[in-house]
Amino acid sequence: MLPAWLRHRLWRAALADRAFMFLLDPPPEGEAVSLDCETTGLDPWVDEIIAVAAVRVAGSRILTSSRFEAVVRPTRMPEAGSIKVHGLRRRDVAGGRPMAEVLPELLRFIGSRPLVGYYIDFDVAMVNRYALHQIGERLPNRRIEVSSLYYDRKYGKAPPGTAVDLRFASIRADLGIPDLGQHDALADAVMAAMMWLQLRDLQARGQRLRRGRGREATAAPLGA
Amino acid sequence: MNTGFDAQNTPFDRLTQQEAEELRAAADIGYFSPGETIIARGRPTDFLHVVIKGAVEARDGEALQAVFGPRDSFDSRALVHGAAGEDFVAAEETLCYLIPRATIRGLIARNAAFAAFFYADVSRKLEAFAEARRPEGGMEAVLRTRVRDAMRHRAETIEGSATIAEAGAAMRDADVNALFVRADGRIGVVTGMNLAKAAVLRELPLNTPVREVTHFDVISVEADDFLFDALLAMTRSAKRRLAVRDGEAWVGFLEDIDLLGQFAGNSQLIPGRIAGARSVAELAAPARAIQDQVERLWRQGVKVEAIAEITSDLNRRLLVRLFDLVAPPSIRDQGCLILMGSEGRGEQTVRTDQDNGLLLAAPVPDPELAAFREAFSGALDRFGFPPCPGNVMVRNPVWSQTLDGMVRQLRRWIQDRTPEAAMNIAIFLDAVAVTGRATLLEQAKSALFAMMRGEAALMAHFAHLIESFATPSLGVLNTLMTTVGVGEDAIDIKKAGIFPIVHGIRAMALERGIAATATAERIEALVAMNALQAELGRDLLGALRVFMAYRITSQIEAVRRGNVEQESLVRPSRMTAADRDILRDSLRVVRHFREVISTRFKTSVF
Repeated sequence: MLPAWLRHRLWRAALADRAFMFLLDPPPEGEAVSLDCETTGLDPWVDEIIAVAAVRVAGSRILTSSRFEAVVRPTRMPEAGSIKVHGLRRRDVAGGRPMAEVLPELLRFIGSRPLVGYYIDFDVAMVNRYALHQIGERLPNRRIEVSSLYYDRKYGKAPPGTAVDLRFASIRADLGIPDLGQHDALADAVMAAMMWLQLRDLQARGQRLRRGRGREATAAPLGA
Repeated sequence: MNTGFDAQNTPFDRLTQQEAEELRAAADIGYFSPGETIIARGRPTDFLHVVIKGAVEARDGEALQAVFGPRDSFDSRALVHGAAGEDFVAAEETLCYLIPRATIRGLIARNAAFAAFFYADVSRKLEAFAEARRPEGGMEAVLRTRVRDAMRHRAETIEGSATIAEAGAAMRDADVNALFVRADGRIGVVTGMNLAKAAVLRELPLNTPVREVTHFDVISVEADDFLFDALLAMTRSAKRRLAVRDGEAWVGFLEDIDLLGQFAGNSQLIPGRIAGARSVAELAAPARAIQDQVERLWRQGVKVEAIAEITSDLNRRLLVRLFDLVAPPSIRDQGCLILMGSEGRGEQTVRTDQDNGLLLAAPVPDPELAAFREAFSGALDRFGFPPCPGNVMVRNPVWSQTLDGMVRQLRRWIQDRTPEAAMNIAIFLDAVAVTGRATLLEQAKSALFAMMRGEAALMAHFAHLIESFATPSLGVLNTLMTTVGVGEDAIDIKKAGIFPIVHGIRAMALERGIAATATAERIEALVAMNALQAELGRDLLGALRVFMAYRITSQIEAVRRGNVEQESLVRPSRMTAADRDILRDSLRVVRHFREVISTRFKTSVF
């Protein structure tokens, strides 16, 4: 991998829209953004974003009060298969805004903060496709992958042959985090942020998650 | 959009949809590491914390005061009044919603029901809780009552050949407004209004046969029909009175006023029925009616203290009437009937015991006294008053004797210094005279006050009864509440809540020679003579009413079950979050009061 200064220099050179230079600023101390996209499918080269949500995390606080949420109008309407996943119907996304309008707002919300998520590479890849088109560059932000932090805490020293379960719902349940409603971009972003804060704390305290049997969940089901 | 905030939960269930949205929009989420102090004792906080997952302990030094689990919120005191009473420490990895103080303050200003949750003053909070109780069932429950249970009048039948004057007399004698008329193999109905119209408007002679003014198109309902059916029949036929049949037989009438009585309660009719009873047997029906109205009044949303007041008044009338009916002239002349315990304090709703006694100015012939004791207590047994577990009733010679005997008895109890003796003194201290020579009771009580005056050791013994039953630890209570699947967690509300308040106040009243028997009046008197802080007095009264409200709910359930043994048990696991919160606050008041009593009477030496 190239050294950071060189990557930044190359990135700056390629950036078409100078207004987005702030993406290279040093990130505000102790802050990150949890990001989640709902898409028409799983192929970042073909499929499109139909909803995006981002929540800032400052210290050990998730700033849900100043969240970013947008429903995006795709150029092609979602297939029946993906509607089942995210619950956004054609007529919901038809009321969305074009990505050209949403992207600059999203980038300003994110700024230079690290991006937190579950399979965050996919979400960033989705955003990058639009970013390349609009500002001429990919997002330079550092990425924090909750599933690998979880793997580390849970399976880090596991003997070979241990069954590994990194499904979103499994991680969530193992950490005792209530289901806020999966496949809703904001709920997913908030839950990923919750996972991150807890995993980061476990890491800082050198504490590992027990394998073998599920942790007794102290969380009551929260319905809203 | 959804961040999982549950607005069904106390106190947020009192918010409007729009207010709940406002709160959701303003909430952040905080993560706390195990052992991290979330709010330090004595410090303010910028947020109301609502636990999403994990557990938070409220600690007072080493003592664990409470454990907060998912959906619980803390700490309203720190938020609104600027200083937390305890340390709030995360016990495990914990996530909380953080609702900014400004948002909460704004909602407090606009929404009174929500604001009540944040009152520092427990009594105001409890009051707001009591106000918020909605009548359950209401209209619905009334309409599902059977006609049989709502009709008041008996069926009186007269021959069609009788005169209208005779019909009028029959109505007056039977105290009814309508008669069934048998004529030509048919049954018809004649009403008082029919007779009046015949005589006044049509000027028919008074010897006109009643069948001439009888109508035979009788609109009827079955005794087992619901009031709902009756209301429909009244509406369809535009009649205010329906004939009621039970199979082939005509059993009475149901009037629109009877329907009204089901809504408004008919306790106003009971005194007349008690006064009108001409034998012990005739008292049985009003005695049952007193008990029935407790459930009805409660269902209709009447406050528990008002129900206790109405019920006490009716029970006293009933006992006075019974006394008049069964007491021989010697006892009526020499005696004073007293009510003790909860009956004496006027705090009984659903009957749990008899709690009555007799004081005599001079000895009466033994056979007369023995016969009276049996007749009086036996009648109450038959009326459905459960025999008092402590055997506090006229039947027991200890509780029905001469004034001199009772004073000697009180002195022996004082010297005994056993819990049983102290309990007997406590029961007697709550006595009120309901009929006969009221001065006998005053004399007995003055003697008791004189014996106890200045006797710190005796007072301490008496007050120490408050320690008979432990108040459940708040920590345990909370853990039980928040953990799913824990076994039975019943709390005996009488032992844990009602008794410590009643007895502590009773001990203070005894010390000060206060004659009042009702706990509310004693508190008022104690506050007036600066023996009790006004704020604590209000809190105690609020808590007592809360306990009484839970108890009456549980008692009514027990009566429905037909087993009153567990009448004072409440199960926090079956309560709503709001109820548990109120119960927690009320038990906290009790704990504090125990300490006050222990310090004042130095009961800790035992």
